[in-house]
Amino acid sequence: MTGLRDALLTRDETRLPGRRDEDWRWTDLRGTLRPMPVLSEAVQPLAPFDAPQGVQVRRFAAPATAGTAEASLSVAAGETLVLLDRVEAGEGPYARDLALHITLGEGATLHRLVLAADSAEAVSMSLTTVALAAGATLHQTVLATGAKRQRIATTVAHPGGGAHARLDGAYLLSGARHSDQTTILDHRGPGGSSEQLIRGVAADQGRGVFQGRITVAEGADGTDARLKHNALLLSGRAEIDAKPELEIYADDVACAHGNTVGALDAEALFYAMSRGIPEAEARLMLVEAFIGEIVERIGAPALQDAARAFLADGLEALRR
Amino acid sequence: MAADQDTVDTVAALAGEKYAHGFVTDIEQEFAERGLNTDVIRFISAKKDEPQWLLDWRLEAYERWLALDEPDWARVHYPKIDYQDLYYYAAPKQKAGPQSLDEVDPELLATYAKLGIPLKEQAFLAGVQGSPRYAVDAVFDSVSVVTTFKAELAKAGVIFCPLSEAVREHPELVRKYLGSVVPVSDNYFACLNSAVFSEGSFVYVPPGVRCPMELSTYFRINALNTGQFERTLIIADAGSYVSYLEGCTAPMRDENQLHAAVVELVALDDAEIKYSTVQNWYPGDAEGKGGIYNFVTKRADCRGARSKVSWTQVETGSAITWKYPSCILRGDGSSGEFYSIAITNGRQQADTGTKMIHLGANTRSRIIAKGISAGHSSSTYRGLVSVHPKATGARNFTQCDSLLIGKTCAAHTVPYVEARNANAQLEHEATTTRLSEEQLFYVMQRGLSQEEAVQLLVNGFVREVLQELPMEFAVEAQKLVAVSLEGSVG
Amino acid sequence: MLHIDNLHVSVADKPIIKGLTLDLPAGQVHAIMGPNGAGKSTLSYTLAGRGGYEVTGGTATLDGDDLLALDPAARAAKGVFLSFQYPLEIPGVPALTFVRTALNAQRKARGEAEIGAPEFLKRARATAAALKMDFEMLRRGLNVGFSGGEKKRMEIFQMAMLEPRLLILDETDSGLDIDALRIVSEGVNALRSEGRSMLVITHYQRLLDYIRPDRVHVLAAGRIVASGGPELALELERDGYDKYASAA
Ligand SMILES: Nc1ncnc2c1ncn2[C@@H]1O[C@H](COP(=O)(O)OP(=O)(O)O)[C@@H](O)[C@H]1O
Ligand SMILES: [Mg+2]
Repeated sequence: MTGLRDALLTRDETRLPGRRDEDWRWTDLRGTLRPMPVLSEAVQPLAPFDAPQGVQVRRFAAPATAGTAEASLSVAAGETLVLLDRVEAGEGPYARDLALHITLGEGATLHRLVLAADSAEAVSMSLTTVALAAGATLHQTVLATGAKRQRIATTVAHPGGGAHARLDGAYLLSGARHSDQTTILDHRGPGGSSEQLIRGVAADQGRGVFQGRITVAEGADGTDARLKHNALLLSGRAEIDAKPELEIYADDVACAHGNTVGALDAEALFYAMSRGIPEAEARLMLVEAFIGEIVERIGAPALQDAARAFLADGLEALRR
Repeated sequence: MAADQDTVDTVAALAGEKYAHGFVTDIEQEFAERGLNTDVIRFISAKKDEPQWLLDWRLEAYERWLALDEPDWARVHYPKIDYQDLYYYAAPKQKAGPQSLDEVDPELLATYAKLGIPLKEQAFLAGVQGSPRYAVDAVFDSVSVVTTFKAELAKAGVIFCPLSEAVREHPELVRKYLGSVVPVSDNYFACLNSAVFSEGSFVYVPPGVRCPMELSTYFRINALNTGQFERTLIIADAGSYVSYLEGCTAPMRDENQLHAAVVELVALDDAEIKYSTVQNWYPGDAEGKGGIYNFVTKRADCRGARSKVSWTQVETGSAITWKYPSCILRGDGSSGEFYSIAITNGRQQADTGTKMIHLGANTRSRIIAKGISAGHSSSTYRGLVSVHPKATGARNFTQCDSLLIGKTCAAHTVPYVEARNANAQLEHEATTTRLSEEQLFYVMQRGLSQEEAVQLLVNGFVREVLQELPMEFAVEAQKLVAVSLEGSVG
Repeated sequence: MLHIDNLHVSVADKPIIKGLTLDLPAGQVHAIMGPNGAGKSTLSYTLAGRGGYEVTGGTATLDGDDLLALDPAARAAKGVFLSFQYPLEIPGVPALTFVRTALNAQRKARGEAEIGAPEFLKRARATAAALKMDFEMLRRGLNVGFSGGEKKRMEIFQMAMLEPRLLILDETDSGLDIDALRIVSEGVNALRSEGRSMLVITHYQRLLDYIRPDRVHVLAAGRIVASGGPELALELERDGYDKYASAA
């Protein structure tokens, strides 16, 4: 998954994944980092600041040239954590690779919001692995505005046993930005559930990528797993690529995925305009509503506010 | 009671045993030497009396094939194939050239009678008033043994004959279109086919003609250790229509047999081709011994404006299926459809789906894929919907549903979507379920036995696709669905 | 106010409106009646400026200005309001947000000051109350999950809030029960004034018992085939459209 990390550490660009690697077909790193940048400082999590009440904040600053970081976090059994991960943008070109590990104890709850900001020239990869215990609840929302190449990947090891995982996400892309959200939801035991809703908007020459794999292992009976990806193409030069996957080895399951790609609904646009809202504004309103549903699903109010503020910036970029 | 344990066990036990077409025809056959080299290719070409250009074409394909690697991305597993251990040509010993039915070896006629394939035109005529008639090209291993209704079709201007005959009689058409949809080195198996293809059907429907009857080719692999490499080419000229059906069976043998076919369809302006397949190759036994490796490249080029191609497939056989009938939607307003039922049982593995490549404006595509897995089998839907920048107004709808019967089978759905036009609308839905307990109960409460109930629900599950088959084959296909899942389906 | 002269409209290259002429003076209410498929909705969409409705001939002017040259938002700013036969659902946009955005966009286009939030809310509350609407419904996504009748009521709510000058009601009565019909009609009647004109499209005479028209026109096969006073509606109710179907 994090081919970038190896390449950065060894300064060997042949280790970069490219379009011939199945999981990287739409997020080609070959040739994007030439020459391979020298590692600057390690991008360790910065101290929290300005934390809303009850929210733990981690800031991941951008490296000057290139950096990798690893961080772990666990939520003890029965505890609840509200976590805001700010992946902060740097200036100009840089390469960053984050490896984050999260463990949820039995009955633990994690509300996690990831705000992924990067410069337009950055190559920025992150992989979060989550291990759930029985009865745990994960509510994650990833909001991204893209980079030269950006991937936010999450893999969840799901034990079943009443645990529930929700992986939501949204991307808002303008200019020539690329963003890739990749999820792997691995249902390993019986009686688990998961749901995913990812919404994306690509304007200008933006390129949105979504890959979502749901696997249900033999014996993971009673699994209920659902995934939805909806994307809007706002320009003739934008692109959306999607691969929702189901890999099922148990018969007593209810799994479904859905994927839609298209333009803004012409009927809704006309309806709004017939009420006197100028076209540009009507478009923005519909885009905001489309993405807004992701924010509304965020359980923790403090995270909702942070999400709104982040998206307002992304929408502002679309307005130009 | 998803499908209760008894049912599951019965299904497993029956896998492979119910194959009704597994007999061997004892007939004297002629083979090319075992293995693959340029001499074998020259031998095949000479047998078919081919012109130099076609031999060159084959040899070039062989050169390219040597440089290719066997694909490994499909979700299928099988021991490495030794391509030097196969026969690439096998034919019943008989006089060369076209023959009348009386001249065909009675043993062969008996084979087709046993398979239920009508080769006697009178058989149709003598039939019930208004009974459906369809023309058949019967291919036995590497050669076509007979093609029916040729005269009547010729009257309408329709050419329907073995490909080798078309090479001789209509070289300009063959040269123009052969390899124009599936290029020689498109993929490993297609490239192999280009080098060694032996037989297949050729269809040309002239402008404005609605082909007066269903056309069908019936493929039979008989000889031991023999690959079948048929190649089919169908051209529907402007404003024409043709419906074509392909059927296939093979004997039950302990060894795997390779079938690597190429099918090319070309639809010009306003033309429509409906291509149906009922694939019932021998699937191997319950332990996964024997069965056909079905590695097939099927592609349609909707070259003309408003042209239309519809693929319908019922895939119940083969040990391994690797097959993605596709449409290149080049003409503005052209449309492609893919309706598929893939049933796997025993140790069968199927990796099948479609590609819809939207190049022209206002192109449409529709994909309905139904997969049913039972026993220890695995069924994968793999598909690509790609919308290119010029395909303004393109539309796609995809529905993939998988049904699992039992705890040891697997079902996968791997759709790829690539959209590069802001005025396209793509919609994909997929579900994986089991037979619902409530539904089974509801139906049984109304008086059906469990087996009948399962059959009813399975038929409901695949109905949308069965409806797309030509009427006379739909009933057959429905029976096949039942037989393939016998034990859970009555 | 509204002048339509020899209007021709095609949809998907198929001529639907074929030479329609209509004069709607300020302050008047005209009803347009006609059989299914006559082109009533096509006329209303054309006046509102929906894409795909190609004007192949004729003119439509509002107070002398060419209506057909404007985009839908500009028409709305000039006071055109269409109550849709099938109102849209817009998930994620609360009705209140929607109406306020529209109102302020229109005001801005007309060079007027934006309306402040408190004043807007006050008016919205009063309007909703008059239409016997649950105010909480206005905080939910526009029309999402509403019944047919609720959607129609929401159309009238928007109309009352936006205070248009040319009101086009496309089968606003369909899907309404008798109480809802009365409430909606009262809402419409409250908007009747000197400077306002209305085009009331309907199938049934019933609505015209509540909203009394000055003139009634029969639209059949894309043309006005008969015009008269309110009595014409009664006659249509009794005799049906057969006689006009053949005339057209
Ligand atoms: N988008 C469209 N494409 C093709 N024909 C249409 C379309 N919309 C309307 N029509 C046709 O136009 C005619 C008039 O429709 P409409 O204006 O909706 O009638 P009414 O509102 O009077 O019932 C009908 O014949 C209808 O089928
Ligand atoms: Mg109407």
